[in-house]
Amino acid sequence: MSTALSVRNLRLYFSTRKGVVKAVDNASFDLRKGETLAIVGESGCGKSSLARALIRLLPRNVHTYSGEVLLDGVDVMKLSEEMFRRSVRWRKISMVFQGAQNSLNPVLKVGFQVAEPLMIHFGVSKEEALAEAKRYLRLVGIHESFADRYPFELSGGMKQRAVIAMALITHPEIVILDEPTSALDVITQANIINLLKRLQSEMGLSYIFITHDIALTSELADRVAVMYAGEIVEISDAEEFYRRPRHPYAEKLMASVPTLRTDKKLEFIPGTPPSLINPPPGCRFAPRCPYAFERCLRESPPPYEYKTGSFVRCWLYHEGKR
Amino acid sequence: MGEDKVLLRVENLKMWHAMRRGLFGGVVYVRAVDGVTFSLAPGEAVSVVGESGSGKTTLGKTILRLHEPTDGKLIFKGRDITHTPEKELMWFKRETGLVQQDPYGAMPSFMTIYRILEEPLIIHKVGTKEERSEMIFKALEEVRLTPVEDFAFKYPHMLSGGQLQRVAIARALILKPSLVVADEPVSMLDASVRVEILTLMRELQEKRGISFIYITHDLSTTRYFSEWIFIMYAGHIVERARTKALLQNPLHPYTRALLAAIPDPDPENRKRFREVPPGEPPSLVNPPPGCRFAPRCPYATERCRREEPPEFEVEPDHFVKCWLYVGAR
Ligand SMILES: Nc1ncnc2c1ncn2[C@@H]1O[C@H](COP(=O)(O)OP(=O)(O)OP(=O)(O)O)[C@@H](O)[C@H]1O
Ligand code: SF4
Ligand SMILES: [Mg+2]
Repeated sequence: MSTALSVRNLRLYFSTRKGVVKAVDNASFDLRKGETLAIVGESGCGKSSLARALIRLLPRNVHTYSGEVLLDGVDVMKLSEEMFRRSVRWRKISMVFQGAQNSLNPVLKVGFQVAEPLMIHFGVSKEEALAEAKRYLRLVGIHESFADRYPFELSGGMKQRAVIAMALITHPEIVILDEPTSALDVITQANIINLLKRLQSEMGLSYIFITHDIALTSELADRVAVMYAGEIVEISDAEEFYRRPRHPYAEKLMASVPTLRTDKKLEFIPGTPPSLINPPPGCRFAPRCPYAFERCLRESPPPYEYKTGSFVRCWLYHEGKR
Repeated sequence: MGEDKVLLRVENLKMWHAMRRGLFGGVVYVRAVDGVTFSLAPGEAVSVVGESGSGKTTLGKTILRLHEPTDGKLIFKGRDITHTPEKELMWFKRETGLVQQDPYGAMPSFMTIYRILEEPLIIHKVGTKEERSEMIFKALEEVRLTPVEDFAFKYPHMLSGGQLQRVAIARALILKPSLVVADEPVSMLDASVRVEILTLMRELQEKRGISFIYITHDLSTTRYFSEWIFIMYAGHIVERARTKALLQNPLHPYTRALLAAIPDPDPENRKRFREVPPGEPPSLVNPPPGCRFAPRCPYATERCRREEPPEFEVEPDHFVKCWLYVGAR
């Protein structure tokens, strides 16, 4: 499978009064064409920051923004803001933002809001854009008559569908989905996931699917990246990951996931993730890791590629202890 | 269930919220809880599962008499408390506790943890200053906020969500209640912290023999933490049974849809679509006349759309409110 996006050593740090927050530290991964890469991790581990770094929608207090993001062989990190806006954002990569269904403008009609990206970023006329918006509403399973309604007239699930239409209307190749279903009840969630699956296969989209819900990642993920305290600590194929996560953090996180269909004892990870301002010097998971040894406390483990395209950041593997 | 083994009896309970519609419109009623019946034995934990808007929070609050019921009966320890005036309910408030969803919202930000825990003791005039202090430190220890001296004098914003939820649990338990309602106590927490908090709650509940109502939208956690599951849909309990029976033999079409919608972590999931009903729950202002799930139910008949189904006891202790089971036993 060819590569849609190649990310190398991506960093996004923020300046705050308390110090520099290393929200994304040295993230590297490839996204293949037509696949879903899930990014999973606890609240505050840097998932949304990673997404914002990719689509380059950054807050004002950026301290460091560096690394390579290769799209069709071009390092888009080197593009000016103007070039990035004209050739990458929305056109190649678009995004469904966390909580987007609640940030629809209450005084604008739904159809207009879905059409807006076309008018703003592509200079399409209002009539044309509105016609296209209706087409996209149908595509996501909303009757086109809803184009003339206001957001409050739509249920939560329908609003989320409209937000997905908005992300697709500019024909992107890559769609970043940041917690696209976390505000919805489980049946509506399942309906939206069905929709995302259908759209992906019909349109050949590549997804970066961000969520804190491990069980849910398995609905879409071909591969899974696990984030902990600003770092990607493991990337594995779905087939491997759900049966045997490699990184000690991923292993413990999986053990905390309740299941309906299998009997297992639930475990939790004592302690809390470290501050991203002064992360521990060695492995960031070391203070909570049941397998930590001397070296873990001192040195940060580099990625260990246990299979082409799959890696784990843990000394156990480097030292042949696993 | 023998009458002597009942702590709480809820009979055809209704709680309708009055709502003014529009500027000149009249009053309409949101029928958040619309005829709920069950009994709870001492020391038992039940999970009330339902999606947002199904009425679970209202049910929890009405049981604690934070609302006065519109209709039906609430009987606690053999005493009818349905319409007892607030000032005669002190004894009942002392017997009950509440843990809420958003720990930050539920705690006054200007009070120390110590003060937050002392408040219920003062209101109910429990102990001397020294005795209270002892109780507070013991409560903190019990929820494992140790070293207790470190936590007692912090303010809520200095604690993580998980730590603060421990404070909420300590507060709910400090008067040694016999009934605790926990409303989505872990839904704002991360997976691992969820398990940690639920495990702690379960441990204390079992140790102290408290009856527990765990309100959640997350069916997958319930089986680890309760002996009963009640499924709520649009103001009704549509199915209730022992945890194992409900999960292994779900009867109501809504319960089945719920189970079908929830994934376990499994790489096969990505290869298939989920069979779930389309649509959304009905309005609670104008609920459909028959079964409230009928508009989405794949098995709905004419009767389902016309007549509200009663509760059928299909197996001992397994109740379902669905016409498919008429005459099943
Ligand atoms: N503009 C900013 N300035 C300073 N710190 C920030 C900023 N945005 C995010 N952070 C911090 O960066 C870290 C990562 O945040 P981020 O929102 O990326 O996490 P997340 O994994 O998406 O979390 P969640 O699961 O809660 O959505 C957190 O510590 C957060 O507080
Ligand atoms: S590097 Fe050491 S501390 Fe980190 S996860 Fe591996 S064993 Fe645990
Ligand atoms: Mg986020």
